[in-house]
Amino acid sequence: MADEQKPGGSQAPPPEGGGAPKPPAKPAGEAAKVTPKPAAPAPPPKPPAIMAATPWDSDLARELKERFGDRILQTATYLGQNFIVAKPDSAIPVLEYLKLEADFDYMVDITAVDWPKRAERFDVVYILYSFPRNERVRVKIYIPDGYKPETAVGVHLTANWLEREVFDMFGIEFAGHPDMRRILMPEEWQGYPLRKDYGIIQQDQRWVQENLGIESGQ
Amino acid sequence: MPDQTFLDSTELVLNMGPQHPSTHGVLRVILKLDGEKVLGTECIIGYLHRGVEKIAENRTYAQFNPYVDRMDYVAAISNGLGYCLAVEKLLNVEAPPRAQAVRVILTELNRIASHLLWLGTHALDIGAITPVFYCFREREEALKIFEKYCGARLTTHAFRIGGLLYETYDGFEQDIRDFCNMFIPKVDEYEELLTNNRIWVARLKNVGVLNADECKEYGVTGPVLRAAGVKWDLRKAQPYSGYEKYEFEIPTCQNGDTYDRYTVRMEEMRQSIRIMRQAVESIPEGPIMGKVGKVVKPAVGEAYVSIEAPKGELGYYIVSDGSTQPYRCRVRPPSFVNLQALDRMIHGGLIADVVAVIGTLDIVLGEVDR
Amino acid sequence: MRKLLKKIFLVDLFQGLWVTFRNQNPKYIYTEQYPAERPKVAERYRGAPRLNINPDNGETLCISCNLCALACPETLIVVTSARSEVTKRKELITFTYDTSRCMFCGLCEDACPVDALELTQDFEMATYTREGQIWDRQMLEEGPKPTQYKC
Repeated sequence: MADEQKPGGSQAPPPEGGGAPKPPAKPAGEAAKVTPKPAAPAPPPKPPAIMAATPWDSDLARELKERFGDRILQTATYLGQNFIVAKPDSAIPVLEYLKLEADFDYMVDITAVDWPKRAERFDVVYILYSFPRNERVRVKIYIPDGYKPETAVGVHLTANWLEREVFDMFGIEFAGHPDMRRILMPEEWQGYPLRKDYGIIQQDQRWVQENLGIESGQ
Repeated sequence: MPDQTFLDSTELVLNMGPQHPSTHGVLRVILKLDGEKVLGTECIIGYLHRGVEKIAENRTYAQFNPYVDRMDYVAAISNGLGYCLAVEKLLNVEAPPRAQAVRVILTELNRIASHLLWLGTHALDIGAITPVFYCFREREEALKIFEKYCGARLTTHAFRIGGLLYETYDGFEQDIRDFCNMFIPKVDEYEELLTNNRIWVARLKNVGVLNADECKEYGVTGPVLRAAGVKWDLRKAQPYSGYEKYEFEIPTCQNGDTYDRYTVRMEEMRQSIRIMRQAVESIPEGPIMGKVGKVVKPAVGEAYVSIEAPKGELGYYIVSDGSTQPYRCRVRPPSFVNLQALDRMIHGGLIADVVAVIGTLDIVLGEVDR
Repeated sequence: MRKLLKKIFLVDLFQGLWVTFRNQNPKYIYTEQYPAERPKVAERYRGAPRLNINPDNGETLCISCNLCALACPETLIVVTSARSEVTKRKELITFTYDTSRCMFCGLCEDACPVDALELTQDFEMATYTREGQIWDRQMLEEGPKPTQYKC
């Protein structure tokens, strides 16, 4: 749900003034500066700390609710952009339904967002577009670390590389993907660069030394 | 079939790139060949991966703006426009009308510059050396306008979140008018060189065919999609930055082969001139910066905004956690997605077609790898 | 028939050759002979950084506010200052600018409240060493001195 995006509401906006340059430093710096915060879980999820999404009221949303029932967790709209939150195992049926019955015939993008503090660590986001309806919709699933969502290659061929990139950057493996390898990073690279616990100057030292013959890439 | 024992050949695996001039950068393609016939391809990308999305998470919104220019570096202004529009969407502000008009002019000029680079290098790949000189000559004029406007030629950093930083310089309108007048005869000249040329036609016709359904299936956008007959352009479908005010056509073709993509892009350049001519005559007076504070700090939320870049749909999916830095900034690169269709397009073709098809996809490796 | 004749007489090729021939005219020469002929860069060109000094008394215009260092995406500017005993104001001690990492985005220039830091029209910034790319205050105030090649 939307109010689960920031568990505990303890993630206050970081202090002003340029901000910390590295994300790993952020939680520590924050904890130091806002020490009284965790003690008082009282100010229940601060209003600006969650996305002010409003329920999405449309025929499509109703149809989806009717068809999938409680497998659709949320249908909402923010800034005029609609999104659907589905249960992790029902992403593919939803995508299939949207493609075949609702004309969402073009998969724009698949990406993920890392929320390390949340129990379901990753958002996997599918962005869809419909040529006949001229409309966009996002399908999101929240998955814990290690969960293997089903691949969307069977629905949209373009998912092939996009899912490989998500795997490369976040380490989310897609079950049933025909070619689950890294795509942008070297194949032997250790670590998943776009996870929040991967520092910006962090690198796979061993790979760099073995393959590039230099001490460090920095 | 004649006796195959003498002529029987094994499959040959050929490595093309990453240092190959016709792969337009550092694309490496592994080709599986039977004689000259391509049986399969595999693209190895990532040689230019700089982690732009990771950089975004460690910079403030304003600081990240110059980095986006370095993805599709031949169309830096389009990248900047997409990013600025996405952050403006998150902030729920809109650039003032004057800024929008100037943005449209510069973006279209950049589209022409990008298509010129594509035309020059594509023709060079096919074996026509002359167009590249002419294309770069005209592109230089466009780059000079960028330099005069914002001080840089390639990685321009021309737009700011909320509008523009730079007011147009004296004589900007005249420069644009001059460019438009100069450019239309030049396009005709390129067409004279290429359109009817027998080698050009023979090399491009029925090569790398991708029909409309396949395009949608692969998520291919931009001129490649339009060459397959789908009349879809984000500037018309979901107008942004005031494109709804200008009259222009969406050029389409039917066959979806390499020659059609050439035709579509040539016509697109003419349409860009048409948009620029309309826009330059109606630049409204007024402020150039919207109501954006010194520190850009959007509310918690997310937005996906996409524009029609010269290569196709360029999208930015930005997640904000209410701080001054984007929590996540995903770029949906058109080249990356279009490149995926390469295998489909050259399957069963000849090895010489590989070069033609890579050229016609108009990929920029900076954007494929980010 | 016409098509065949056109094909035999290589009309399409001659059409293209005619374009090439038309462009042979020396008045269409476009190439700049760079070292001999200096290119004119635009007024707003973002090139080598310069730290402006007050022309009247030769003092720096920089007020050591550190805004440029904060604005820089690459954090390549380092400003050190000390509070002066006499004027009670911050005074600039050192100013380092690492041009090897600079991408000339102009954000430091925008951030400067007193127009002290400026990206100028100088574009010849090549050096023989990496260390030479790191400019100190003196270098920033004087500007680069490239070798002028004469033909």
